[in-house]
Amino acid sequence: MSVKAFELVSAVEREQLMGEKVRITIECIECCGQHLYVGTNDCFIYHFLLEERTTTKGRLAYSSQKLLQKYLGLKKPVAELKAASALERLIVLCDATIALVDMVTLEPVPSGGAKLKGVTAFCINENPVTADPFCAEMAVVSARRRAVQICTVHEDRVQMLKEVATPEQPCTLSVDGYFLCLALPTQYMILNYSTGASQDLFPYDSEERKPIVKRIGREEFLLAAPGGLGMFASAEGISQRAPVSWSESVIGAAVCFPYVVALDEGFVTVHSMLDQQLKQTLSFREGHILQDFEGKVVLASTKAVYVLVPLPLEQQIQDLLAGHRVEEALTLTEGAQRNIPKDKFQILHKRILQQAGFIQFGQLQFSEAKEHFRKGQLDVRELISLYPLLLPASSSFTRCHPPLHEFADLNHLAQGDQEKVQRCKRFLISYLREVRSSESANGFREDVDTALLKLYAEIGHESLLDLLASDNACLLADSAPWLEKHNRYFALGLLYHYNGQDSSALQMWVRVVNGDLQDSTRADLFEYVVDFLSFCSNLDLVWKYADWALQKDQKIGVQIFTKRPISKETTGQLNPDEVIKYLEKHHQALVLYLEHLVLERRLQKEKYHTHLAVLYADRVLGLLSRPSATVEQLSSAREKLQRLLRESSLYRVQLLLGKLQESEVLLTERATLHGKLEEHDKALHILVHQLKNSTAAEDYCTWASEDHDPAHRQKLFHQLLSVYLDPDVPGGAQTMEAVDLLNRHADVFDAVQVLELLPEAWSLTLLRPFLCGALRANIHARRTSQVALGLARAENLQLHHDRLKYRGGPVFVSEKRGCQLCHNTFREPDCVCLPGGTPIHTHCAAQRLQDSPTKRRLDHGHTSNHT
Amino acid sequence: MPAARKMRKPDIKMVILGDMNVGKTSLLHRYTERSFKDTLSTVGGAFFLKQWGPYNISIWDTAGREQFHGLGSMYCRGASAIILTYDVTNWQSLVQLEECFLSLTDSANSDCIFAVVGNKVDLTDSYAQVETSKDVGPEESGISAAPSCAAPPHTPTIHKQVHQEDAMALYNRIIVYKALNEGTSPLAEKMCFETSAKTGYNVDSLFETLFELVLPSIIQKQARAKSPTVCLEEYEEKARKRKPDCCT
Repeated sequence: MSVKAFELVSAVEREQLMGEKVRITIECIECCGQHLYVGTNDCFIYHFLLEERTTTKGRLAYSSQKLLQKYLGLKKPVAELKAASALERLIVLCDATIALVDMVTLEPVPSGGAKLKGVTAFCINENPVTADPFCAEMAVVSARRRAVQICTVHEDRVQMLKEVATPEQPCTLSVDGYFLCLALPTQYMILNYSTGASQDLFPYDSEERKPIVKRIGREEFLLAAPGGLGMFASAEGISQRAPVSWSESVIGAAVCFPYVVALDEGFVTVHSMLDQQLKQTLSFREGHILQDFEGKVVLASTKAVYVLVPLPLEQQIQDLLAGHRVEEALTLTEGAQRNIPKDKFQILHKRILQQAGFIQFGQLQFSEAKEHFRKGQLDVRELISLYPLLLPASSSFTRCHPPLHEFADLNHLAQGDQEKVQRCKRFLISYLREVRSSESANGFREDVDTALLKLYAEIGHESLLDLLASDNACLLADSAPWLEKHNRYFALGLLYHYNGQDSSALQMWVRVVNGDLQDSTRADLFEYVVDFLSFCSNLDLVWKYADWALQKDQKIGVQIFTKRPISKETTGQLNPDEVIKYLEKHHQALVLYLEHLVLERRLQKEKYHTHLAVLYADRVLGLLSRPSATVEQLSSAREKLQRLLRESSLYRVQLLLGKLQESEVLLTERATLHGKLEEHDKALHILVHQLKNSTAAEDYCTWASEDHDPAHRQKLFHQLLSVYLDPDVPGGAQTMEAVDLLNRHADVFDAVQVLELLPEAWSLTLLRPFLCGALRANIHARRTSQVALGLARAENLQLHHDRLKYRGGPVFVSEKRGCQLCHNTFREPDCVCLPGGTPIHTHCAAQRLQDSPTKRRLDHGHTSNHT
Repeated sequence: MPAARKMRKPDIKMVILGDMNVGKTSLLHRYTERSFKDTLSTVGGAFFLKQWGPYNISIWDTAGREQFHGLGSMYCRGASAIILTYDVTNWQSLVQLEECFLSLTDSANSDCIFAVVGNKVDLTDSYAQVETSKDVGPEESGISAAPSCAAPPHTPTIHKQVHQEDAMALYNRIIVYKALNEGTSPLAEKMCFETSAKTGYNVDSLFETLFELVLPSIIQKQARAKSPTVCLEEYEEKARKRKPDCCT
């Protein structure tokens, strides 16, 4: 519980005062700067010069020099001494009378004004209400009077301002501003001497115990309460701090922020005002007086004077921290904020927070530690440096001095407990992640990221890959051996890649794929490498590893080329011709690549189309010549070939025709090729007579006429019909097919032509669907065109109307109307219109033009208007 | 007292009064630290600063010993809520409330809210013996205790000397004594609690009911104290809150 907050230092020793005279005792003291005044019971005032010095051991010591001693000429003790330093006066209470003496000479000053006699107590207002700096305010209690007198003390006189009545005769008092805090025989009270308002505080028996009233700050007092309590009371009569617990026999109290010091018969006790806890106890016998003067706590026995020297705050805090009393240390630090310059406080506060964080870290209280690290803006490397080998070798970091904690490293902290070590590591991971996401890692991101990478790698954390894939500052030289050590080859590849060393990355991955190195991070590493190559802008690398990839798996390997993104930039682009040439030896890959060029990218180059078609054809022919080929293989190969032949129009038809000519099976393909050459009769012949597939024939007609006008389509269908009706082929005319064709595609045919072609013998019922269809189509066409005609006429009329409207109204010319120029009437309907529609004679207009050659040019625009 | 470290000015004051050994400190400890521990006799008083939403509420724990009764009226000065605590196993503790403590509350605010709390109910009623980690709804708190105590299997270790009816009667006498308007004051059913600091029974409900009730008084106080002193800290906070608004 104890903190060393104060040290007792001797100031004036017994020999300097009364020597061996036993009955002489100290009655009162006053301290003003370096001047110490002591009043004794034999009516002497001693004046000492109190000099502060630091001993060789770094401790504070006082040496006192007696300047003067003065006998006041009475046989009474000096009851009270108060200095008014601005006036250079000492206010002395002796023999119940207040007198003024000179501070330097101790000579009595003859004082005019009020005579203050029968005084039992007085106090100086440290928060004066008058603005005059050369007067002190004083509140005086007199015997036999139930009142307090308010006086001002001037250099040469004491002036009474006011007398305020009190319910009982006060024993002791204190004043702040207008507020008097009085200890009456039975209770404490606050009295505002300006307004007269009073406020009872609490009962107290002055007979039993000496009351204490001590002003501790603006409008706040410290009072001795029953049960040995030190109660705080504000001027409104409210307690804003919890009381401190003294002993019953308390004699005096003083405040030296943030401590309350109290004196009783055997001890000096020190309580904190911040948490009300007892912080220190000093044994002190025969204590008599305890008072604070401008922050200096002075203690006197009957014979000697001591100073309670507060230990430097920092040392107190460090003591608390050394005892792992984090909360108390922080309370003390924060409580002392107002006593320390702001910039100094901030530095101190940060450091204390950091130290507190490390103490809690050592106790594995991670959330509290984190909070303190964050508030204390800890250099995160301090924490990283606790973990062996995490900071990069190149890091310039050295631990702060004096050290923030007592740990050499994590092993020292954990004492070999692996569970502890793991928990600390997990904490560091979470902490570093937060640091990364905030701004506080600025300046040493390399250290942070490298440390994080090492931690991830060590425990196999999944975020390792995210770290490497995102923006990071991991140091390659330091991280690479670590990753290798922990078999994180895939991650190492990523790191190489991030650092622009793609060839090293690939080398690493290839070795993993080949099984030379073991790293199971990615089961699909081969696909990953292929994908990587497809995006790799370094073409040398692509070529270097393409062979390896294709040998491993052509189907996947070819994705290096097919998945490559297409951009407008010429650099980093592969020339398809080169790729094709390269892929010659990888047949499957070549087909896939050409399919990519032709079918996906739709490159319109004859070479690729022909090449692909030839490869398809070869495949089909190959399968045909192989008896082991299944039907499915063949049909899918033919399907591909057929589709290409139908849909592309770039390949060299003759070449393919030549290739397929020999085959008796590939009739559909041949028909398509003929169709490409516009040799429809040949195509239809193959389909109808060789393949004998009327559906295929009809589909052919539809396909071949797809991009042509209806007339062409009609022509093709007629051609098919005539093939069907041709009697000169073996087997004769295919009547049924012809009828079906007509009935199905009634609308395509020219009915009149068809009817002429058909043999007379065919029954009407047979052709009924065709005829109905044809008739319907014709009527429909007629009606549609009539509607179109009507609409066109209406539109024309509308436009006509609009045109007239924009042209303006008619120009009236009559025999009675005169020409504007010659004022003669019009004889004939021909006229010229001036702009604005005024009619004039044609000859007048011509005349005018001739008369004004200069104007002619100017008016050129207008005259040309006439119609 | 780690929570008292932040020396923010409290917005409002609550005081716990009652005879010694009724469990005032334990009640506060249960509410703030969520645990029960043996406490020493409180010397003088102590207080705890509770952050409740945007408000700081100071809760004063007083000493029950007679020696310190004199300090009571000073603690109560300016209080907005007073918790009068008795021990359900001790009839005298209820009598003391009326005889000694009620007069101490004269210095409290005129609109002060009172709660009468019977602690140690875990000793007499089995339903309060279960360690309650979750909150008991405030509706249940008031009336349910007295009638339902007959229903559950009774294993009272100690005879219950004070029943809730007695506490409610006291509450009503307080209202009369304070010359408070019976119509506007909260009802006795709402303001009489039976709690157990040991098990946590009804404790949160007690404090939170009071917080809800003093809220208007906080707002009123803040409105009145549009003080001439500018609080820079507060202003900064407000500005920080506002910033996103004007940016969007």
